[in-house]
Amino acid sequence: MSTLKVIDEDYSSWKCSACGKALTPTPIELEYLESKFTVELPACPECGLVLIPEDLALGKMAEVESLLEDK
Amino acid sequence: MNSNVNIHETVSVCPICLKRLTASRVTEKGETRILKECSEHGIFSTPVWRGEPAIQNWNRPKTPSAPPVTDTTQQKGCPFDCGLCPDHNQHTCTTLVEITWRCDLNCKICFASAGNSEGDSKHKPLMRPDPTLAELKVLLKKVRKTAGPCNLQLSGGEPSVRDDLPQIATIAKELGFPFVQVNTNGMRVGRENGLAQIWADAGVDSAFLQFDGTRDDIYESIRGRALINDKMAAIKNLTDAGIGVVLVPTIVPNVNDDNIGEILKLAVAHSPGVRGVHFQPVSYFGRYPEPPSDNARITLPEIMTKLEDQTGGLVSKTDFMPPACEHALCSFHSNYMVMEDGKLKKLSGKGEPCCTPPTASEGADKSKAFVRRQWAAPATKDCGCNKPLDDLDRFIQRAKTHILAISGMAFQDAWTLDLERLRGCCIHVAAPDGKLIPFCAYNLTSMDGESLYRGKNA
Repeated sequence: MSTLKVIDEDYSSWKCSACGKALTPTPIELEYLESKFTVELPACPECGLVLIPEDLALGKMAEVESLLEDK
Repeated sequence: MNSNVNIHETVSVCPICLKRLTASRVTEKGETRILKECSEHGIFSTPVWRGEPAIQNWNRPKTPSAPPVTDTTQQKGCPFDCGLCPDHNQHTCTTLVEITWRCDLNCKICFASAGNSEGDSKHKPLMRPDPTLAELKVLLKKVRKTAGPCNLQLSGGEPSVRDDLPQIATIAKELGFPFVQVNTNGMRVGRENGLAQIWADAGVDSAFLQFDGTRDDIYESIRGRALINDKMAAIKNLTDAGIGVVLVPTIVPNVNDDNIGEILKLAVAHSPGVRGVHFQPVSYFGRYPEPPSDNARITLPEIMTKLEDQTGGLVSKTDFMPPACEHALCSFHSNYMVMEDGKLKKLSGKGEPCCTPPTASEGADKSKAFVRRQWAAPATKDCGCNKPLDDLDRFIQRAKTHILAISGMAFQDAWTLDLERLRGCCIHVAAPDGKLIPFCAYNLTSMDGESLYRGKNA
């Protein structure tokens, strides 16, 4: 699958607390129960730590998780 | 003792006299057989699981849940006290109500011996008059009270022979059954334009469509006549009316076990109107002079393997999982997203086991909700095609319409009956007196056709 933006908000003002570097939009592979989705998320260019905004985690990601889970 | 032999103790019945017998589930060299001995009628050995996925890895433990309301007490022991009795291990997920015993087909294979013209004085066909609307209302009220808001299947005979089927569906909805499915051969609804819409308007959510294959020789063999055109017309009329269609093939060795892949491909091609395929290996009810031979049987893992082999890997036998609701050995399932290119993306991931087994009733609740959602027509026709989408949005939008459920369920007959499985059953037939009887107990017959329950209560 191609890499696509899932968040519109600008997170460039966020810094990685461990490395002090500004987070940059980075292609990230999300994997859950054997399904993979490549999406663009803010990540630290130094250590790779990814920020997953709360509304994404509780919104679309939660919905996708429940679709992938078994009955 | 050979360490490569696994023996699991269970209980069954004698296929000849239906006496309760201790039995063993014996697994050796990739085959599991039910083995039992009646002091009067001898030894019976019948295959119940052959090949892969291996039975050793096929389990889904559940903490038993006794039915919330029971109608009988434990007196003679399982399987003679059904109603349900307090010794049952699972709630009701689906109740079947037989609204007629008439049928417009005369199939060799029929649970209900409906419309069967064969029979001597001892084995009379069940040509009872249809229950009236008032009688059905009383029955449905009782089921609603004992089983709760379970899913409901109107069955028969062939339920569509009743002109008042829509009224029955409406009564069921008014009584609070959230999901009403019609178990049909599709002939009438395929031939009468407008009938499917009348059913849909009256509250029918789903059709459990007898669909044994994509070729007429299969129908000629199992159903006595060519039916594929009727089946395709039924699929069209039902889906056009917004009734979800589940294709239900009875798989018979050397008749249609070579057509399993084609059936799945046809289901994919008719998604999202076709919501699922539910394979049923043939089981043997009614009168048989000899026990069915081993090669007259096909087991669930053989169907899973053929699904992989006959579809060029569209699905894999390792995709499938044991059920959350009924006993693990009774069914398999997996859910897929049908992609734009016709490929299937597996959805039902296998989570790692993490904790104590859930209660059986939790599994039943999940299963009820799943069936209600999946086997009815999609809630929206919006594919979201015109909106800007990201990968997750695209996935969520597609899932609203294009999910296909593939499943299979093995019914037990007098040879294969395993009371551990029966006690975990969640599919119950409402007998005319309102007692709830596990499906396989209700349809169980001895080798000479004598029923354990059917026709025995008012």
